[in-house]
Amino acid sequence: MPSLDPVPRIACLMVPLFPLAARLRSEPELAQEALAVLAGSGPAARVVAATRLARRAGIRPGFTLSQARVRLPKLIARPRDAECERAAREALLDVAESFSPRVEDGDEGLAYLDACGLERHYPGESPDEELGRALMLASEQRAGLPIRVGIAASKLAARVAAGQPHSPTLVPAGGEARFLAPLPLSRLTPQAKTLATLTSWGIHSLGELADLPKDEVASRLGPMGQDLHAMARGVDPEPLMPRHPPPAFAEGMELEWPLVNLEPFVFVARGALERITLRMQSQGLACERLGLSLELEPDGHHERSITLPAPTRDVKTLLTLVRLDLEAHPPGAPILAFTLNAHPDKPREAQLSLFGPAALSPDKLATTVARLFSMLGKGRVGSPRTVDAHRPERFALEPYAPPPPPKERPEARLGRGLLTVRVLRPPLEIEVITDRRGAPGSGGNGHGDHGGSSGEGSYVEATEVAEPVTEYASARAEERPISFKTLIGEEESRKPRIEGRVRVASGPWGLEEDWWSPDRLERDYWDVELTSGGLYRIYRDRGNGDWFVDGVYD
Amino acid sequence: MRPKLQLPAPFARQVRTARELVEERRRAPEETRFETATEGFDRLLEGGLERGSMIELIGRRSSGRFSLVLTALAATTAAGEAAALVDLGDALDPQAAAAAGVDLERLLWARPRHMKEVLASAEVILASGMPLLVIDLGMPPVPGGRGVEASWLRLARSARSQRAALLISSPYRVSGTSAQAVLEMRGARAAWAGRGGAPRLLTGVAAELELVKSRKAQHQGAVESLSWRMAADLRQVGDVEPADLEVRGGAIVDFRERAIA
Repeated sequence: MPSLDPVPRIACLMVPLFPLAARLRSEPELAQEALAVLAGSGPAARVVAATRLARRAGIRPGFTLSQARVRLPKLIARPRDAECERAAREALLDVAESFSPRVEDGDEGLAYLDACGLERHYPGESPDEELGRALMLASEQRAGLPIRVGIAASKLAARVAAGQPHSPTLVPAGGEARFLAPLPLSRLTPQAKTLATLTSWGIHSLGELADLPKDEVASRLGPMGQDLHAMARGVDPEPLMPRHPPPAFAEGMELEWPLVNLEPFVFVARGALERITLRMQSQGLACERLGLSLELEPDGHHERSITLPAPTRDVKTLLTLVRLDLEAHPPGAPILAFTLNAHPDKPREAQLSLFGPAALSPDKLATTVARLFSMLGKGRVGSPRTVDAHRPERFALEPYAPPPPPKERPEARLGRGLLTVRVLRPPLEIEVITDRRGAPGSGGNGHGDHGGSSGEGSYVEATEVAEPVTEYASARAEERPISFKTLIGEEESRKPRIEGRVRVASGPWGLEEDWWSPDRLERDYWDVELTSGGLYRIYRDRGNGDWFVDGVYD
Repeated sequence: MRPKLQLPAPFARQVRTARELVEERRRAPEETRFETATEGFDRLLEGGLERGSMIELIGRRSSGRFSLVLTALAATTAAGEAAALVDLGDALDPQAAAAAGVDLERLLWARPRHMKEVLASAEVILASGMPLLVIDLGMPPVPGGRGVEASWLRLARSARSQRAALLISSPYRVSGTSAQAVLEMRGARAAWAGRGGAPRLLTGVAAELELVKSRKAQHQGAVESLSWRMAADLRQVGDVEPADLEVRGGAIVDFRERAIA
């Protein structure tokens, strides 16, 4: 009876010359140059990887910089960058995770993914071959890393296959032992003592080790020998250990020299943001919070966190926000290294209606809101909300997330035709001339209704009145405004100037709020019409007696 | 047998298949205009704000210009469409907007500080596919002046390519030759209730709206009367609210004298 367990298929993604590939990912313009990446510092620094142009000149791993420069004086040297390598490692894992949720973080430049079941996505003659090619293409395009791929039933066989010059290399199921047999023992990276013991037994290849009896090897070499024997037969001693994806996408760089100005920093940050957004795109995520961590000269640190109004992957928007934030909060010292941490969130999704009004694209909308946010600043873009309070100037602003449109377009209705107020924020202080003739019925100058209307309502035609008059009537004896003008300094030329004699005044309309608190509000409101035109809402603060205009009926 | 035919007759008449709905949709005339729910305004523009066009509305203080803007936003958002307001004067009172019928959840409110930000914000919003964008430049002096005419031309082109309706509300003309139609609110007059020694009550504003410029010459110079009445929750005297007042024939004519004395 055949086993129901599927044969494991593991794909190994290997980045050849990983330190160099990680460096070129951050500085792609150096790919066509003679470049060497060195480990260590000072005269002890040794070449660990070099570009093809440098290798053609005879530069090999282990050379000192002086030795390398003797062969190639124009050699560009870069130190190993831990931040670049960490980011490249994460990017490789992101690519793997875009194919399978079960991904193991191997060593530097290595990732394993569980390829079981993926053949259904590649229905061609050779699904593994197609998967391998797709992985190579995705890594090149999304992570900027050239990789080799090996696919086998065990991690070791897949890793060895990935190390072959032809890529992708496929090891047929059950053929792992045969594939590994001719390889030297050193491929298993055993301890030197164990390797010496095996060599003294006359064992030089994996095939020879696999042919030994398992129990005999275990009794002589212990558990490690047992594991080596299993690996030589193409069986992994440990299964694939899927990793937990990190909560944030990080990219950064150690800079060649300290940066003092914002512009060059923004230039290098752009590259990091582009790489982050590509990684997030491959997983269908967008950035909802961006963390910026700067290492400063000599040993300072600067942390910033930028919360976005809506998740976005728009590099221009993110870069503008970084620029604005650093302009507002400068680090105060030259920058030695930086890390950008993008905290991901699901982009907004919406189902489009077939018969109702068209919905906005959630992705476009999120980018638009984020761009407006970066352009106008915090608190200047959003969706307005009313606040349960009496103060007319109060309002709230929520992130803009319109509900989905109705399934069918509603019938059009006639407007309510309400007169609205154009609010002045903040209220403008005014100088008011008042009159105390406020007893009910004593107002006015005897003209009565100046609109000339014989009906119940009265239109007051400002243009028809030859002399300015003041009409008022109040339920209480109050200081009634007769004329006013705004108190605006010369430096406040942008504020509207309002000045004139009051033609009709209606009020006062008392407004009290928070009477129990020291921050209480007590105002007397008036609706006034000026003889020069314009309907205003003004008020007197009962606390200090000052007058303000806070709205224009329009 | 088709499922629809198995239904009882009263229900079957109400049920349409997806194919019938799609066919109905195909036959229906394409929505090309936003009705603003203000009869006079819609009449002058032959049915409302045309998609893909830029309309300029000018008017002095207290002419009812902002009320017209909110009515247009209310009509659009009530129909389930999203709309944006670029508010240079920072003049929007959400309370008043909600009273005017604006669905605040569907309204994107941007509050730029000067003309340069207005133009940049408008361009970004139009590019998002927003169906209606209103730019309100507030009261004079407009910070940043009139802006460059090329910018307005670019906005008009952007509105056309995105099939968005763009309404510019300004105290004076700013868009040069870019606008498809220019309307002016003028002759505004306030309506006050109460007479003699009785308390006065602001009941509304009436104004005339003239089509100053139109690329369709047949309507140029046409005038409509508009009126706006005071919202109920803004002012009230005794047991009478301004909402009790009525608008007839484009003017506020009815005031119940029993109330204020």
